[in-house]
Amino acid sequence: MILPALLYLGIFFVVPFFSLARTSLSSSGGSVYLPTLSFNWDFGNYVDAFSQYQDQIIRSFTYALAATALCLLLAFPLAYVIAFKAGRYKNLILGLVILPFFVTFLIRTIAWKTILADDGWVVSALGAVGLLPSEGRLLSTSWAVIGGLTYNWIIFMILPLYVSLEKIDPRLIEASKDLYSSNRRGFSKVILPLSMPGVLAGSLLVFIPASGDFINADYLGSTQTTMIGNVIQKQFLVVKDYPAAAALSMVLMAIILVGVLLYTRALGTEDLV
Amino acid sequence: MPSKNSDAIDLQLAARLAANQTSRRRFIGGGAAAAAAVALGGSFLAACSSGNKSGTTSGPATPSDDGSPATGKLRISNWPLYMADGFVAAFQTATGLTVDYKEDFNDNEEWFAKNKEPLSRKQDIGADLVVPTQFMAARLIQLGWLNPIAEGRWTNKKNMRADLLNAAADSGRKFTAPYMSGMVGLAYNRAATGRDITKIDDLWDPAFKGKVSLLSDTQDGLGMIMLSQGNSPEKPTTETVQKAVDLIKGQKDKGQIRRFTGNDYANDLASGNVAIAQAYSGDVVQLQADNPDLKFVVPAAGGTWFVDTMTIPYTTQNLKAAEEWINYVYDRANYAKLIAHTQYVPVLSNMADELNKIDPKLAANPLINPPQSTQDNLKSWPALNDQQTQQFNTAYAAVTGA
Repeated sequence: MILPALLYLGIFFVVPFFSLARTSLSSSGGSVYLPTLSFNWDFGNYVDAFSQYQDQIIRSFTYALAATALCLLLAFPLAYVIAFKAGRYKNLILGLVILPFFVTFLIRTIAWKTILADDGWVVSALGAVGLLPSEGRLLSTSWAVIGGLTYNWIIFMILPLYVSLEKIDPRLIEASKDLYSSNRRGFSKVILPLSMPGVLAGSLLVFIPASGDFINADYLGSTQTTMIGNVIQKQFLVVKDYPAAAALSMVLMAIILVGVLLYTRALGTEDLV
Repeated sequence: MPSKNSDAIDLQLAARLAANQTSRRRFIGGGAAAAAAVALGGSFLAACSSGNKSGTTSGPATPSDDGSPATGKLRISNWPLYMADGFVAAFQTATGLTVDYKEDFNDNEEWFAKNKEPLSRKQDIGADLVVPTQFMAARLIQLGWLNPIAEGRWTNKKNMRADLLNAAADSGRKFTAPYMSGMVGLAYNRAATGRDITKIDDLWDPAFKGKVSLLSDTQDGLGMIMLSQGNSPEKPTTETVQKAVDLIKGQKDKGQIRRFTGNDYANDLASGNVAIAQAYSGDVVQLQADNPDLKFVVPAAGGTWFVDTMTIPYTTQNLKAAEEWINYVYDRANYAKLIAHTQYVPVLSNMADELNKIDPKLAANPLINPPQSTQDNLKSWPALNDQQTQQFNTAYAAVTGA
């Protein structure tokens, strides 16, 4: 029964992964346009990748962390309301949450360009109350990129949170009240711990794709907000330095993996999942 | 070039002709092409599946020509919105050929990155005729991936501008047929700048901090910067290119440059996010229809030409039909219809009469028919060798992609 899944993983994950790892340790030679890659444990690719692009690497993870935190802050109350307070409107609200994601990612991101345009009403409204960032604009700033990441990935936070909150047995909450716990204490001792699998799943589903994203930085960012995804894209498609691009991808993966392991351990959700 | 014409021109009227046309270069570009690949899933892979379903090695197009008329289907891959309404239909009627016209050529380097594997194995790429920019066409010639265009079927070749016929990239034009040429200069929003822009130094005015966009294409982006530094893109060296890159890097680090764009600068310019942009001439004429404040200028120290060329990959499935198409485009009356739509500079000589038949304003437009003084101020990059291309691309990408 598990064979198709194993085959799928083998063909679409293991093989490309090793191919990428091999490329990242190769050096290219021969013709410029049709380079031949020779595998020779060239760890210099990693050293170069890290030293040349550490700013972009750090920036990517800062943005991804900020977007994940924002998603969590925004999604938790919403998922809570849908799970516990929405009553018969539950499905309607869930539908409304999902609806915007029927529109393609690209179009939604470009739409934000129009909303945040320098001459747009959002900027003038924020300018009037003195809330504009130091650049005097919204578009092409870090804020726009983080905002775009948050917006584009928040659904992957809302849905797991909703599922884990919805699963909580209401009798546990009632029991905590019977034992004279306040609402706040009930939340922190009962609801929050029980929703941890959702928090964990949501955070991973947002953080991982957000770290490698390049569309938001491309459309909503400026030359000062380049993320590592933009660098990898450029290396693969313009410079065509495949070993450097592969090494950057491996570095990105390694950092994400370490981050995820630390996070999972810190939340201690193994027993809950 | 068409005859000299230095009259002050009513650009807006010309622009109105182009109202509601979207320029190909504004459509999508740079990272957007890759973005589209993400969003549209496998559409970029369609090249492998359309037409030649087997995707297997096709035989080399036969160089010998039996003189029989072209038949069947012709698959064309061109830049977005680079075609006049009804043009393809008229060609089909005139020749009896069926045309599968796709606007899927968005970026030279990305096109190359995606098609070099099948081309190197001589596999069909889903197009019988593609329209890369001249530098890319020169690369394809070097790699031996283009079919020569048979003179016998390209009888209108004589209509080509003499300066293009003798271009270093393909002397005598055996493999490439220029499709459109245009100026790379500066476009600015007069309302946003509050003054006229005349030179590259205006880009670095602190008043326009964060309101400037440059082209991410190496040649289009760097050419005019090199000219402003007293260097010519006609004889680029590692030092002169690096000097231009360093200048741009300094300005980028200061926050002066908002974005490096592909052909997608136009939206930012039109919506006021960008006050000055490196731009292509034809785009600006079209944008002026919506926004009369937009101006195009060749900077004082000079700008550059670009030439997009029709080429026939050696994997073509219908060589004769591709040649028939090129010959049809090279008919002055047909070509005038294209120019009326794209608003670029004709690659055919003596176009004034045919353009006048469509609208006298066209031939009088200095962006379509640039005066000699403007032409003298426009330079072209030479054909670069592999190492140079790679070196220059890498140097500029270190700034645009980081």
